[in-house]
Amino acid sequence: MIIHSTRFGDIECPEEKILKIPSGIIGFPSSTRYLVLDHDRDVPFKWLQSLDQEELAFVIVDPVWFKPDYRVTIALDEIMELGRVDERDLVLFVILTIPSDDPSRMTANLRGPVIVNAGTRTAKQVILRDEFPTRAPVRHEAPMLQASAGHSISLVECHR
Amino acid sequence: MLVLTRKITEGITIGPNIRVIVLEIKGGQVRLGIEAPHAVPVHRDEVYARILEENQQAARTDAVTLPSFMQLQDLVKKKA
Repeated sequence: MIIHSTRFGDIECPEEKILKIPSGIIGFPSSTRYLVLDHDRDVPFKWLQSLDQEELAFVIVDPVWFKPDYRVTIALDEIMELGRVDERDLVLFVILTIPSDDPSRMTANLRGPVIVNAGTRTAKQVILRDEFPTRAPVRHEAPMLQASAGHSISLVECHR
Repeated sequence: MLVLTRKITEGITIGPNIRVIVLEIKGGQVRLGIEAPHAVPVHRDEVYARILEENQQAARTDAVTLPSFMQLQDLVKKKA
């Protein structure tokens, strides 16, 4: 299918690449289908483009890239809508805010990461109980190689 | 808005499986206990509002070209 986006024009989107976010990104409940736009060059930034609102897109990044010690704990019940969860299929990214007037002042929302179940291609933005900032300055803290370190999500059966 | 008056240890029931209980009232602050299924997200209003506002800010990001992203990446690395 062809999707329309304000920023990138028309994009070819194979159905199987659609990422479902049933509850939407908080504040945008009517957009429940997204496409992750990747660059062919090696940059950590990707775009999360809505298929339901062509003007809606977010810059996302794997937080391990700039915050290798970022760990989150999520209750299984909290991500029930992601379908059957195999912990190895869980991926996490955070949303960046990049000010137009000074992109170097970009920040990352570490309090509201998006958890993706790659197995079902379904995702959810969760609000963490831990006091992570919603506007963490993005500074590189580790060699790029560590970006593939991966598992920064712990699942727990019970949270309260 | 429904308004109810409750004393300490009294609560309200919302739907079949959510209970809110007044635990303590002290110096203009109320401590609430909340029993709800884990699948029901419970957050302080201001935390939810902060995430919502941040998402709205983030959605305003202009299209960033790949070269600018690469510059950003370099910039972040230099800050380290």
